[in-house]
Amino acid sequence: MPDLVDLVQARELGKTYRGSKGTRTVAASGITFSARAGEVFGLLGPNGAGKTTTLRMLSTVLSPTEGTACIDGHDVREAPDRVRAAIGFLSGNTGLYPRLTPREVLAYFGRLYGLPETALAARIEELAGLLDMAGFLDRRCDALSTGMKQKVNVARTVLHDPRVLFLDEPTAGLDVLASRTIIDFVRRCRGQGKCVVFSTHIMAEVARLCDRLAIIHKGRVQFLGTLAEFRKDAGDDLEEAFLRVLERAA
Amino acid sequence: MKALRVLVIARKEFRDVLRDRRTLFFMLLLPIVVMPLLMILISNFMKSQLKEKESRILTLAVEPQGKVLLRALANRWLSDHRGALVGLSARIGIESLGGLDDLAQLSERVKSVQDEARGGLADTALLAYGRAWLEMSDDQRQMLQDAGAVHGFLNQTRWIGLDALPPAGELPPGVHVPEDLPASLADARVAAAITSERKDVHAALHVPAGEIDTWFTEDPARAVSLPITIVYDGSQSLSREAHDRCAAFIEALTRAEVRTRLKAQNLARDFVEPFRLKEANVASEGRQFQAVIGGILPYLIILFCFFGAFYPSLDLTAGEKERFTLETLLLAPVSRVDIAAGKFVVVFAAAITAAVLTTASLALTVTYGILPKGTAEAFNLNFELPAVLLTASLLVPVAALFAAMLLTVALCARSFKEAQSYATPLQFLIVLPAMTALMPDLQTELKWAWVPLMNVSLLMRELLKGNYLWDFYAITLGSMFLLSGIMLWVASRVFRRESVLLRT
Repeated sequence: MPDLVDLVQARELGKTYRGSKGTRTVAASGITFSARAGEVFGLLGPNGAGKTTTLRMLSTVLSPTEGTACIDGHDVREAPDRVRAAIGFLSGNTGLYPRLTPREVLAYFGRLYGLPETALAARIEELAGLLDMAGFLDRRCDALSTGMKQKVNVARTVLHDPRVLFLDEPTAGLDVLASRTIIDFVRRCRGQGKCVVFSTHIMAEVARLCDRLAIIHKGRVQFLGTLAEFRKDAGDDLEEAFLRVLERAA
Repeated sequence: MKALRVLVIARKEFRDVLRDRRTLFFMLLLPIVVMPLLMILISNFMKSQLKEKESRILTLAVEPQGKVLLRALANRWLSDHRGALVGLSARIGIESLGGLDDLAQLSERVKSVQDEARGGLADTALLAYGRAWLEMSDDQRQMLQDAGAVHGFLNQTRWIGLDALPPAGELPPGVHVPEDLPASLADARVAAAITSERKDVHAALHVPAGEIDTWFTEDPARAVSLPITIVYDGSQSLSREAHDRCAAFIEALTRAEVRTRLKAQNLARDFVEPFRLKEANVASEGRQFQAVIGGILPYLIILFCFFGAFYPSLDLTAGEKERFTLETLLLAPVSRVDIAAGKFVVVFAAAITAAVLTTASLALTVTYGILPKGTAEAFNLNFELPAVLLTASLLVPVAALFAAMLLTVALCARSFKEAQSYATPLQFLIVLPAMTALMPDLQTELKWAWVPLMNVSLLMRELLKGNYLWDFYAITLGSMFLLSGIMLWVASRVFRRESVLLRT
């Protein structure tokens, strides 16, 4: 029963932008892949490949112009609210409300997710312990360091305990220590049986974390398979193999 | 739309904007503190400027004979009226009218007693004098005012000879020498000196001193008018003041001379006053003042309603994009219409708050800060409760329109700065129709009820005067609600457009 464990199913997803003068820009096309529970799925590709567009379509921020996707059993076109309730989304440049404290930010999103107040307060305390945030939970966000902010963002992403996580270049712009928080977090999620879709342009991150991966370039999937399969094709130098896939697509 | 989610969003946005200094400034500090302070400052400044202008020593250029003659006429007026003046000035507290210095004191006192009488006799030190002033006859009051005019002309002026004027260069643009002037004033030096940037000569006078003998005649058939010419610069306030002082002086002399001539001929004053217009204004000073306030208030209410909406609307849209928080919000399981509604509630409330606070603080400032002490009761500003409530009801569609409009425009921007440059022109768009209430000659005709904002402005003016124009009100409220409804619909459409939401 693959459908039960395939928490993310993208079927021929595509997004074409129409410009004002009849120009058409294809940001993504024919994206098909699936990701399972307990799996970290890597979306690898250079800047502008269509990774963010794909993740935004999967998370219903953008509506696809072709194809569709199913997240935890909900269609992104038909039940976007349910999809959003089922996912957590984190990107490298996610901002926090600078005039609110982390506790207020988390409480805000918790209420939007419909968590009951007592459960929400308990959940915030739990996450604060888990992510070591107790020291700055009641400080205004504009006074926090980048690493602290990223912890708050991580907490916000898993606040409602979603089964599917989309991470859009979550380590972009972070230093080694802050990146470490993210990497640990991804591993922990996998351990909890969540499905993590992880986009990056850094091969090394894929090699460390991912079970399966798709290489996206020019809006299309150029490679789809397990990390082991990719290694088999590539030999030892994964970076080199990545580049070869890109060249073949050109 | 889920009301609960909208409430959660609105609650958070309230908390957020209330921690924003810019919003606080425009919503709270500006109407409560800055506006009243500014108004008191300006009004005091204007008062002191007026006082300074009135007591300023002005320079008049005149031929030596003319000066001698004018001074002689002034002194003659004073000695002719001294007896009467001493009695009258005692009644308003100037005990012994001696020399010319006392005349300055008298002139001051007349002005303040006049204010006191106009203010409706409050319980001040001048109360008794104000009563005495009101008990005097018109002629008696006129004589006291004329004494002030003579004093202003005689003592608050400096005189220089026409021949002392510097040679003229080229006259400034827009300055010409009229053709029918007496020869001594037709000189370009006169016009040049009066219009000069240095402002050291304020007006020039010509008195035909040679004709004075024919003027002092006993024979009524041969009575003549003595032509006195004044040259002044109507574009400068001090020069106008010089003109006014001369005119008031000549009028005082004229009144006295007419009295003398009539008496010599045994004629009653009616002889030269075949008609007399008796004026009766049924509107109290308070009512007239209320009409003025009724014109200014709508403009300020509408403007501050806009100011109140301005920063929160930008902060909650473009500001949220700039801080990279909007996309996170879009990922929460709330519909975009709910998000728009939550933000709208907050901006709407800010607009209403700013408008209401402005009105309240304005009323308090005018009553306790600007009007002289004790006169507020006399003005008896009387805004009826139904009028106030109807005015407030108009505020609802106005605030909704501004909130929806600003949210839409600001959402299309990528950054706060860009949003500001989009939203600022809107201000000019609303200022013009809002200002229509300030135009006293613009009648509130029913056709204007169809012009957005202009209808609100005019209707508020009428309501504050106590005119209940129900048909105008119905059209205004209906069309404004329709317009703000359309704008809200547009806003909700724009909030659903991903190309707008994700434009960064």
